[in-house]
Amino acid sequence: MFWEFFRFELRFQLRSPLLWIFTGLFALLAGTALATDAVTVGSAIGNVNRNAPAVVLNFLAVFSILGLLVVVSFVASGLLRDHELGTAELFFASPMNKRDFLFGRMAGGLCASLVVFLGIALAMSLAQFWPGLDPERIGPYPWRAYLYGLGVIVLPDLLFIGGVLGVLAATTRTLLGTYVGVIAFFTLWTIATALSRDLESVMTAVMVDPFGGRALSRAMRYWSAAERNTQIPDLYGYVLANRALWTAVAIGLYVATYALFKPMRTGTASAKPVKGRVAEPQPHAVAAAVAGPPSELVLPGVSPRHDRGAARAQFRHLLGFETRAVLSGIPFRIMLAFGMMNLGFGAVLSDILFGTKVLPVTHLMLDAIRGSFTFMLWVILVFYAGELIFRERSAKLSEVTDALPVPNWVPLAAKFGALLSVIVCFLAVGALTTIGVQLARGYYAIEALVYVKNLALDAWLYTLIAAFAFAVQVFCNQRFLGYAIVVGVLLLQALLPAMHLEHNLYSYASAPEAPYSDMNGFGHFLTGWSWFMAYWSAAALALLALAAAFWVRGSDPARRERLAAARARLRGPAGLAFATATVAFVALGAWIYYNTTMLNEFLPSNVALDRQARYERDYRQYAALPQPRITHVRADVDLHPHERRAEIRGTYHLVNKSSEPIREFHVLLPRLVQIESLEFGPHRLKQEDLEIGYRIYELDQPMAPGAELDFAFKLRFEARGFTNDRGQTQLLDNGTFFNSRQAFPSLGYQERFEIEDRNERRKRDLGEPRRMPKLEDEAARANTYVGNDADWIDFETTVSTVPDQIALAPGVLQREWSENGRRYFHYRMDRPMLPMWAYLSADWQVRKDRWNDVAIEIYYDAKHPANVERMVQGVKDTLAYTEANFTPYQHKEVRIVEFPRYASFAQSFAGTFPYSESIGFIADLRDPDAIDYVYYVIAHETAHQWWAHQVIGANVQGATVMSESLSQYTAQMVMEHEYGPGKMRRFLKYELDRYLSSRGGELLEELPLYRVENQPYIHYRKGSMVFYRLKDEIGEAPLNRALKRYLEDKGYQQPPYTTSKELLEYIRAETPADKQDLVTDLFEKITFYDNRITEASAVKRDDGRYDVTLKLHLDKRYADGKGVETPAALGEPIEIGVFARKPGAKESEETVLLLEKRALAERDMSVTVTVDAEPYEAGVDPYNKLIDRVSADNRKRVTLK
Amino acid sequence: MLTIKNLSKTYANGVQALKDVSLDIPRGLFGLLGPNGAGKSTLMRTIATLQDADSGSIDFGGIDVLSNKDALRRTLGYLPQDFGVYPKVSAEELLEHFAVLKGLVDRKERKASVEALLRQTNLWDVRKRKLGTYSGGMRQRFGIAQALLGNPRLVIVDEPTAGLDPEERNRFLNLLAEIGEQVVVILSTHIVEDVTDLCPRMAMICQGNLLLSGKPSDAIEALHARVWRARIRKAELADYQARYTVLQSRLVGGEPVIHVFSETQPEGGFQLVEPDLEDVYFLKLRQHRAAA
Repeated sequence: MFWEFFRFELRFQLRSPLLWIFTGLFALLAGTALATDAVTVGSAIGNVNRNAPAVVLNFLAVFSILGLLVVVSFVASGLLRDHELGTAELFFASPMNKRDFLFGRMAGGLCASLVVFLGIALAMSLAQFWPGLDPERIGPYPWRAYLYGLGVIVLPDLLFIGGVLGVLAATTRTLLGTYVGVIAFFTLWTIATALSRDLESVMTAVMVDPFGGRALSRAMRYWSAAERNTQIPDLYGYVLANRALWTAVAIGLYVATYALFKPMRTGTASAKPVKGRVAEPQPHAVAAAVAGPPSELVLPGVSPRHDRGAARAQFRHLLGFETRAVLSGIPFRIMLAFGMMNLGFGAVLSDILFGTKVLPVTHLMLDAIRGSFTFMLWVILVFYAGELIFRERSAKLSEVTDALPVPNWVPLAAKFGALLSVIVCFLAVGALTTIGVQLARGYYAIEALVYVKNLALDAWLYTLIAAFAFAVQVFCNQRFLGYAIVVGVLLLQALLPAMHLEHNLYSYASAPEAPYSDMNGFGHFLTGWSWFMAYWSAAALALLALAAAFWVRGSDPARRERLAAARARLRGPAGLAFATATVAFVALGAWIYYNTTMLNEFLPSNVALDRQARYERDYRQYAALPQPRITHVRADVDLHPHERRAEIRGTYHLVNKSSEPIREFHVLLPRLVQIESLEFGPHRLKQEDLEIGYRIYELDQPMAPGAELDFAFKLRFEARGFTNDRGQTQLLDNGTFFNSRQAFPSLGYQERFEIEDRNERRKRDLGEPRRMPKLEDEAARANTYVGNDADWIDFETTVSTVPDQIALAPGVLQREWSENGRRYFHYRMDRPMLPMWAYLSADWQVRKDRWNDVAIEIYYDAKHPANVERMVQGVKDTLAYTEANFTPYQHKEVRIVEFPRYASFAQSFAGTFPYSESIGFIADLRDPDAIDYVYYVIAHETAHQWWAHQVIGANVQGATVMSESLSQYTAQMVMEHEYGPGKMRRFLKYELDRYLSSRGGELLEELPLYRVENQPYIHYRKGSMVFYRLKDEIGEAPLNRALKRYLEDKGYQQPPYTTSKELLEYIRAETPADKQDLVTDLFEKITFYDNRITEASAVKRDDGRYDVTLKLHLDKRYADGKGVETPAALGEPIEIGVFARKPGAKESEETVLLLEKRALAERDMSVTVTVDAEPYEAGVDPYNKLIDRVSADNRKRVTLK
Repeated sequence: MLTIKNLSKTYANGVQALKDVSLDIPRGLFGLLGPNGAGKSTLMRTIATLQDADSGSIDFGGIDVLSNKDALRRTLGYLPQDFGVYPKVSAEELLEHFAVLKGLVDRKERKASVEALLRQTNLWDVRKRKLGTYSGGMRQRFGIAQALLGNPRLVIVDEPTAGLDPEERNRFLNLLAEIGEQVVVILSTHIVEDVTDLCPRMAMICQGNLLLSGKPSDAIEALHARVWRARIRKAELADYQARYTVLQSRLVGGEPVIHVFSETQPEGGFQLVEPDLEDVYFLKLRQHRAAA
């Protein structure tokens, strides 16, 4: 019997088109994602092999969650089909066995679901043979990963989901109830995931995930690229525990299903009241009425109207009728509720940095709406387009309605209108939900207008999608074919960029982004966006006009008849609309083409890369050619922010610092900048490469060694028309910010424009990526790592802008005046500075303060006053710390300047720090426990005034230790003095986590800190860990002494520039002999620890004190650049600690009972210490000061014996 | 009133549903009789503007139906053969909906009209109920109510009595007869009795061919004294069918009674009977099939 049910069910499901639609869709998605980067599943593939086992596992894990939807259809329908179809009685009246029925059906459904996953695996397997894939990125066929993924992830997940569904189906006994239950489950799961993503509770977080994805990613968390390419996780630890737990739960669920399932007719168990039901007419009354003599048929006279007014009334009525039908439908309400919950949690948990929240500002809420609705709403629109058009036909009512005297446009327009009501409904609910979130989080600056504007733009896009789906359904006249075509087209469009077909002109409903910024509003983005949207709207109108022509009326006509009818209708208003829309489409397209490809250059990414490759090929030969160096910069810059234009008139003073005469100037300018004139002695233009912006000028008289000359230039930097993408985001209506590299000429070949990506280089035969010169390369010490055309420069500038804005550049403000209706600012740097400068202009609020004789100025947007005081405090504390410990601050002012969120970084120019609106100004610092990263980032940028702007490394390995790592160290010290060492532990844990997880993504070679080659995970993350540990070991004062001497000796030096080797000499000079090896471990080797406490117990002594015994496991290893590890000797002193905590108190409130360093030389050992009070936790390296592979097992709760 | 001339239609799959059909349909109830698949529904749908013909013309009171569909739709009431409803919508609401679409945009007039129809079809008491809860008969009455909205001059009902119990069917046919006093009503059916009872005029079609049209009584009259009846044994049935034009054979008390068409008495034991429409119907079918 079981087998009979099973076979029947499987056959039934295998014949259902839904199964194959799902399989096809998922397989397409999986295959495409494996072969290209156009589609991502979970996170992007990154730099491992495209078919790496880790990728395969990740894909299967993600699909097993998405597959939830699939399984609902197959498993639940198997159990409930009979109830829905009314065949239940046929089965339940037969002498069947409940167990066989139940499990046969469920097994059949699960097997059918498995087919979907086999399809996914097959598509992924085939995708690795896709032609054109880089063979370097295809590993051997990872069959073990497929087996593992299907066996360990997919199968248990399916079993579990099946169990959940079984219980839901048995209790609710309706498909709808089951769907609701699944959505509730899914939402709870999302919430649990979100709540448990705190780093502190790994085990809980891993265990509460029934799908095992988290266990998997935990197991592979710190894997290097090599490991990801070859290994699969052992079935051990987190993975095994998770799988075992949830398989057990699944079995429990099946037992429950069996107990709960009642093979009886629905409705026999309980009665559900029917709303609005009227009394049934009594049977005999009906009979009497029916059998009575035929009454006279008297109908009141009517006067039907068929004029235009009537048609309009019919449209209004039908619009209401169709809209009500959609919006009151239960599926719609469920999807809306689901979207709302999803959005609510997305909005609550938005954007976290170092565990600190950001304020729920409106644009973030809008991003949350887009994030949780976009995909969902597309799907819903596509679905309802079919639903609405086929509504009469599915109800078998079309023959009635089609014969009614209604003009064709009425149902067409009404149904389309009903589809639009879905959009309005979703977006309105989205806005209300996020406003609720804002209020709930105590954020009361509700910007209704910003919501309306943004959502109106979104609604426009959704309308275009709706029109397309709608028109396709009309043309196809077969619902599922229509769905397939719409989804296929949308998917194909998503693939276009991967084929470098990047113009929005041929990707339906595509337009350049129009991001909203509090500072700059929609800025200039709206213009380009609107033209594109108008263009696509014309297309949509043409499609709808055609749809009106092809509108089907009556029983399925043959193609010939449809064409004939369409031809006839196109002779009427539909044809006129179609013709008008088509003309508009073509005209708008031409206008867009003119703007995006003639006024501006349209550069598909591959063409841009090819150009970069040509740059390297053609001009690399000049890399070593001596060029003069810039010693003074004078510039008059006129900013026209509203026109997005800048005029630059400048002079470089050049000196030939080389030992040979210079015959040629090689001038490099960004492509967007045009030269109006160049003046410098007699010369001729020898070569001009406008595509790249490379110009070679031959001097009539070679420039002798030591000779000087003025190089004057007049430049235009402007935006013309609109572009196919965001375009340049430097010149803005409000919030202009550009730096010297983006608008000023450079001299000589610049390596920074070469392609860095290894795969792209390979494709273009450029060889391996060029790496930084070796630490030992003495010649490379002629330049700093920030540029090769200057050392320290004198800088002076006059900048003008519109009257309602302030214009900023580095330097002391000499004078400010108005002239010709413009505002002028004259800045002069009072001492030499690094050759990097920037211009900014916006309408800011200014907060002014002082620290001793240094002026502190915060330039911020009126909407973002929240953290300004923290910033001022951060500057003051940093200045206090650095002046006390290092050298004096070199400038007279510190300016922090907000710029729009199109980029999110902070950068330190001399005395002036542009700081993105998205990373500090909107941070939510109200939680006193959170890490104050605004303060931290300010301290880091301020510290750069010493670390980079006073001492700067040569262009060799290790240069960023002196800028980034030391800025990290300084910021940490400032933060530690402000917030105490307790908070540092959390901060360091984040740094450690990011270091460990990023090193897995290393492509070339992980280097020891002192040889870092501009690798952020090393110079920031590991740098933090290393310097904090060093300070901890040798003391803050000696370390700072070393740094101060280093600054005094190497500050403002001329070439050869300093290196990390020299820095280490200063550090070693302050390091006691027994810690010299530690310095080697920290800086010159890649060192890991794996220390853990396996047991912590305490015994109360007679004197009231406690003996605490810690069982420890210690390990230390050295790794090479590829991640191969060798064991290292133990025995260096390591901290052990015992802590007390009041019941219910947090870690930040703990008291230290004991903290001391012990030299522990054995791998496994036990230590006993005595403390004064009752211990709560004990641990080894309890503050995570070491680079420990698993930081969570360093502490353990003490058990009292 | 309704004149159909030389109407032909061939489907894409090669089935010829109508072959040069010409009909003249006056006011009153007009029966369209034919076996399943005869082309009745094609003819009905073509008249109801839901389908195009390959050739021929249809004229209704001066309206060229095939080229001016909208004009016909304004005077048309149509109850298709197999029609569904929105199960979650009440009868009143859906009827109002159709009323608007029929052009009854004036609210008061529409309300009155809907109420009258609901009362007339005896659905007034259950008007608030969801259509999904209606029985087959109630649904069919709802169908006729919607067909009568806007007082049409041409009413087409396709197989309306299928699946109704005798009482419902009676009631329904009475209603049709009422309507037929004022307008053209085309009733398509394969139940001969419906036509005999109700229709002053009729047509028979089979495989797209018009077999007969006119008054049922004339057709019956034409068979006068040519239909014979005999009680035979079961085993002999095949033999009789081979030798004679057997019109009907039905079991009476377990033994076959057959009607045979013959100018003279076929053999002993056959008695002359009064022909009925069913005899006409089967004779026409036999003759058509023999010809084909």
